[in-house]
Amino acid sequence: MTVRAIHRYALATRIAHWLWVVAFAVLVSSGLQIFNAAPYLDASDKSDPAHRVFAIGSPRDGVGETMLFGRTFTTTGALGWTDDGAGGAGARAFPGWLTIPSYQDLADGRRWHLFFAWIAAVCWLTWLVSSAIKGSLQKLVLRPSDLPKLWPMQAYYFHMRKEAPPHGVYNPLQKAAYTLLMFVLAPLVVLTGIALAPGVDAAFPWLTVLFGGRQFARLWHFAAMLALLAFFAGHVLLVLTQGFVNQMNAMITGWYRLGEHEGDGA
Amino acid sequence: MKRRLFVASSIAAALGACAPIGTKLNDSSFHELLRGAESLNYPLIGTHGLAREYREQDVDRDFRVNGLPAPQSSQYERFVRDGFASYRLRVDGAVQRRMTLSLAQLQRMPQTTQITRHDCVEGWSAIGSWTGVRLSDVLDLAQPRDDARFVVFHCMDVDDGGTQYYESLDIRQARHPQTLLSLRLNDRAIDPDHGAPVRLRVPTQLGYKSAKWVARLEIVGSFATLFGGHGGYWEDQGYEWYAGI
Repeated sequence: MTVRAIHRYALATRIAHWLWVVAFAVLVSSGLQIFNAAPYLDASDKSDPAHRVFAIGSPRDGVGETMLFGRTFTTTGALGWTDDGAGGAGARAFPGWLTIPSYQDLADGRRWHLFFAWIAAVCWLTWLVSSAIKGSLQKLVLRPSDLPKLWPMQAYYFHMRKEAPPHGVYNPLQKAAYTLLMFVLAPLVVLTGIALAPGVDAAFPWLTVLFGGRQFARLWHFAAMLALLAFFAGHVLLVLTQGFVNQMNAMITGWYRLGEHEGDGA
Repeated sequence: MKRRLFVASSIAAALGACAPIGTKLNDSSFHELLRGAESLNYPLIGTHGLAREYREQDVDRDFRVNGLPAPQSSQYERFVRDGFASYRLRVDGAVQRRMTLSLAQLQRMPQTTQITRHDCVEGWSAIGSWTGVRLSDVLDLAQPRDDARFVVFHCMDVDDGGTQYYESLDIRQARHPQTLLSLRLNDRAIDPDHGAPVRLRVPTQLGYKSAKWVARLEIVGSFATLFGGHGGYWEDQGYEWYAGI
């Protein structure tokens, strides 16, 4: 049997992909560092405990507590009373092993966050422009004609159907996932982030208003991060189960071998 | 094939090593690179538009107190005792007219009231009603010279290590119509905990720019030789000079 390989990922896409991996890791962990300076989220414009939906705290030494939608859980060791990043334990929302830097340093966390936000945004823009010019973008974006194929594709994954519905380089579910990632979640996380900036709020007041105010934008920014983490988890799971070596090779060399895994998720 | 797998696992290993980098690369040239983002943010966001103004009922009556404690000096105690009658705001540096202004003189100048949101770098926000003199009006009196580029705000508060608080704005930020030398918070003379008698108010930037207990405006061409050289107390500790983000 001859194995046919296709050139699936352009160089710009591959570079952007790996830079995103680094940037995403840094942005999440430096973001948690920034969150630790005010470890609560309010569904309001100004800070308002009456609209608090999430909070991490330490009511007394040695105890960590997390409140979600009015219900309080004891989370000692994981959240609230955690590893302080300096070899001890203390009142700290997210633990040191999850934050950049590991110890409490808001100024440094902001430096990392704002730098890698630029990296991620410039990568996104470069990928968008280069994919649009090369024409590969149209193979990825979900179209109305793909909608009737979504369920048959899912049925194929569930082994309820022998054949995958006919599709191009990306199947309808991949298109749906990547369209959601690149054109909904990525812009959302950037816009909710810059909506927190007082200088942006003055220049474009509609942006902060759109998200319900500054604290609400902070809540959406955190929620968008969780959605991206969920995507990341699903993505990694699919890469691990749908031909890990072939998938990794494809994202490093660009060449993807056909015929081994017909579903080729990830 | 093995080589490719090796490449892939190297990338994975490199990512796993990311978290401790933050600790190890402190004060390195990499850190200078990180600071580079700031030089992109200011030109891009700049000082445009006006901070949103709120209604009277949005005001936090019990406005949050944050930052350094009120000055402990004997001079400040004397100011509090005499109701700030002996307080003088000095204006000097690269100006045509050096001057000192008493609180009464500041109160006789045209007063502006703004109800704006104070956004702390820590992440929280509070809304206050601020009344005072536009910094622009004070600059008009002092007439900055052509070489003037920044206004440095010298404050009366000192931290545990003896370091004095200060801040700075460029002339454009200083002349923004909402940049105030505020004398009143929530319809009362500012109390000592909130920065009496004069607190800078910069609603287009993060809270650390809104310096309390302002005693002197020094107009300069560069702040590189002042204090730590980064243009502010928190800036000297690693925070961005441009606090619009």
